[in-house]
Amino acid sequence: MSSHEPTPKTRKPGERVFCLLLVIGSVYLFWQAYQIAGFSELSSAGAFPMATAATMILAACFIFVNTLKRPANQNAHFFTHCFPPIVAIIMALILVYAVVLESLGFILSSFVFLFTTIQFLYRRRVLTTLAISLFALIMVYIVFRLIFQVVLPEGIIPERDIIASITALWR
Amino acid sequence: MKKTTIALLAAISFSSTASLAAYPDKDIQGVIMWGAGGSTDTVMRSVAPYAEEALGTDLILSNKSGGVGAISMKYVNKKKADGYTLLMGAENPQMHKVLGLSNIDYSDMVPVAILARGVPMMVARNDAPYNTMQEFIDYVKAHPGEVKIGSTGKGGLPSIIMAMIDSQVKLDYINIPYKGDGPALTALQGNAIDVMPAVLGATKEQIKAGRMKAIGLIDNQANPMLPNVAPITDTLPGLNSYLPWGPFFGVFVRKGTPDQVVNTLTRAFSSAGEREEFTSMMSNRGYSVMNIAGQEAVDFLDTYRSVSSWLVYKAGVGKFSPEKFGIQKP
Amino acid sequence: MDALNYFAMSWLSPELLALTALGTFLGIYVGAIPGLSVTMAVSILISFTFSWDVNNALCLMVGVYMGGVYGGSRTAILLNIPGAPSAIATALDGYPLAKKGLAGEAIGLSTVMSVVGGFIGILVLALAAPSIADFAITFQPRDYMMLGILGIMLVGSLSGSSLAKGIFAGAFGLLIGTVGLDPMTADERFTFGIIELWDGINPVAVMIGLFGISEALHQLQHMDKAVIKQKISRIIPRLSDVKKYLPLSVRTSFIGVIVGALPGTGGDIAALMAYDHAKRSTKEPDVEFGKGAKEGLIAPESANNAAVGGAYIPMLTLGIPGDAVTAVFIGALFIHGLNPGPLLMVEQPHMFWFTVGNLTLANIFILIFGLTGIKLFSKIVECPKGILIPLIFLLSIVGAYAINNAITDIWWMLAFGVFGYFMRLYGFPVGPVILGVILSSLTDENWRRAILTERGSVIDLFVHLFTSPLSIVLFMTIVLILFTKTPLWSKVVKPKLFPNDA
Repeated sequence: MSSHEPTPKTRKPGERVFCLLLVIGSVYLFWQAYQIAGFSELSSAGAFPMATAATMILAACFIFVNTLKRPANQNAHFFTHCFPPIVAIIMALILVYAVVLESLGFILSSFVFLFTTIQFLYRRRVLTTLAISLFALIMVYIVFRLIFQVVLPEGIIPERDIIASITALWR
Repeated sequence: MKKTTIALLAAISFSSTASLAAYPDKDIQGVIMWGAGGSTDTVMRSVAPYAEEALGTDLILSNKSGGVGAISMKYVNKKKADGYTLLMGAENPQMHKVLGLSNIDYSDMVPVAILARGVPMMVARNDAPYNTMQEFIDYVKAHPGEVKIGSTGKGGLPSIIMAMIDSQVKLDYINIPYKGDGPALTALQGNAIDVMPAVLGATKEQIKAGRMKAIGLIDNQANPMLPNVAPITDTLPGLNSYLPWGPFFGVFVRKGTPDQVVNTLTRAFSSAGEREEFTSMMSNRGYSVMNIAGQEAVDFLDTYRSVSSWLVYKAGVGKFSPEKFGIQKP
Repeated sequence: MDALNYFAMSWLSPELLALTALGTFLGIYVGAIPGLSVTMAVSILISFTFSWDVNNALCLMVGVYMGGVYGGSRTAILLNIPGAPSAIATALDGYPLAKKGLAGEAIGLSTVMSVVGGFIGILVLALAAPSIADFAITFQPRDYMMLGILGIMLVGSLSGSSLAKGIFAGAFGLLIGTVGLDPMTADERFTFGIIELWDGINPVAVMIGLFGISEALHQLQHMDKAVIKQKISRIIPRLSDVKKYLPLSVRTSFIGVIVGALPGTGGDIAALMAYDHAKRSTKEPDVEFGKGAKEGLIAPESANNAAVGGAYIPMLTLGIPGDAVTAVFIGALFIHGLNPGPLLMVEQPHMFWFTVGNLTLANIFILIFGLTGIKLFSKIVECPKGILIPLIFLLSIVGAYAINNAITDIWWMLAFGVFGYFMRLYGFPVGPVILGVILSSLTDENWRRAILTERGSVIDLFVHLFTSPLSIVLFMTIVLILFTKTPLWSKVVKPKLFPNDA
């Protein structure tokens, strides 16, 4: 965890914007908390959320002001040091994976995701990647679906029919 | 292109009719409305193995809690109406319409079986200065704003029971809501609350051990499991029109499921529900075994819905009038 | 003599022995995989062991429970993804140790100390169960509220360099914990009309996102960096180390038993409180906390395993579950025709000692399974990042889905992963967020219950606080901890009380 690093003297690119967003977000959440029950009773559903949101606003303002005081780090750039393309690409891949998971089903979408990301990050022969992704997928499927009976999204592959026909071979 | 589409459609419809003929020919998913360890979970997990035996296939049970049951309702109703996804639920959705929580309840589904029903009652902490419903009502009247009664939030079983009592006699008490009857009954034993409306299943062992006392049965006749406790109608005869009433556990499928499939499921679950192991386990836990299906189940569900919806609405908790959904007055 | 017979039952029957071993082994993996919870595994086992003899079924389930609580530390140390909320505190110092190449040593030490904690929990269960259970149920809403406040004050320990950032993170966590239909009034809080939000945001989804996904995203920046070679020469901890840390382990185990025995709190809160205790009581750690202090690893691991014995206390004596898993156990006992409740110890006296013996046995198996195979596990960290990171993403997504079979949990997990990435980037600690999520409902609900009990009067609440010794003790603890944070204490009182301490 990065929590114990000494407070840096300079501010990182994007830090100001992030802290400002926190302030705005906190104010918005306070407004939402107020909407629950207003300032009615100390035992109302909105009392505790309002107290926490107010704490968030105070802390966020304090952090924001402190950030403003520090000079910017001239050598760092947001898109090289804070949010490099590789992070953005992987985030996008995960997003696509999560979107298609339900419609395509677990097996197909996970296989494509694993294959693409391992190929992209590990950069070995296609056959190696294929073997690794298949092996990992089979292990995950066995542990989650078969042993712990988590019914993963089935999507377009008729899993249950396949399992039924495989088990029928034994009967 | 058109040809292949037609061929594909034909193939799909063929495969679905084929699977219908041999229902069930693959695993069935049972969606449990509440989380692991809850009473719905225990009941369903203990009936499932017998139903599996009767069906000759595996029942894969998964818990899908959330939205006071609305999430699992929505989930099952999104799946195909082929009988391969069952909803294993409790009474909660019957009030969703009035509470404005959801626009579907069990009248929009087909009951496969109503397995059992809880026996509602009132318990009090051991050293409370009342032992019967009458004494309790007199005490609250004499000490307004002092007695602490536990509840489980709006629309929960305690809130309906208190609405029932409220329809006959006005009481001034402190309502302290808990996350469920378990934590509330624990609080009762720690004297944090004085009285709690609950089901017998949750209190049976504690009463037997003398850690709390039963002061009234929310029914219109005595129960063999609690022979010494008077039914509430002895004190408040006006409640006769609402009773018997109680939370239940049932198995449901989506509307539109072929009759043949529903029948197969009903047969399987009623034979499972009749098993001696299951019935003795249930009565041991303090539940009344019902094991009803078909029209009988539909009638039971309607009565429950009408009593609860109107009570809740009259108590000022409901968002919409039951009339809006064509729910008859009890 | 009877007690001893029942105690030894699972030790002497080869069948029961094997089932306990199998359960413990499975449990370690269930615990280690985020999203697969012990609660879920035990309820699956209910159907699975339905037709079995009750003793056989219990052996398997007890093993899974014991092993599962321990297993959460594995992935926390190796990958910074706590397998369960009770292993969050373990990740804080366990993962830095793995980063230094000391994963083997960390797992070895955490195993031994988990077992110590487990034994203390069992010992307290065996010797003092009835009196502790009676004590535990006397906790009033105001006492739970103060316990929640005590917990929230741990933000100070988890914040690192900037307290303001820690407070922000903690308050944010508390707010996340309130999302959903309010369980007391059914008011919608921060649900924006979305039904999937009624049940709130699952703490496990938040945890997997903030710890696992955000860490993996950070690792992407250092793809070129060579993987850390793990030193696996030392696995069984040095005797001198065990001796040195034993007092801390014993103290935190007692925290674990008590917090575990309270029906409203469990191993997750116990572990965090233990971590805080370690940080306060360790004057001069060899390594700073948060950078791989062994004290920070030992304390939560002892406490969360001790909490297992604690959770059994109200369950076996009163039929009140001490946590979610013991709630499932109660269901299992019903299904097998036993009546868990205050009379269980009268009607089925063998049940108590059988369980105690079985727990002890499972604890021994943890030692055996925990200390073998560490070499293989440590290799996970040495796995090339290009393969490991995609696998972490896959496991996180499947794990988030497995919590409640819902896609929504995946969305939350990802959102918190991205948010956590930026939090880490700009020096915000993520630990307090989880702390807040865990403590939110405890504090919120009990505050409101306490104030409802007094008919809305804060003054009455304060006055009545002094009618109960327990409330006074809790209140004074809060005041004392706050006081030690003020300048008056550090400048005036402390030098006088502890002149050598400076």
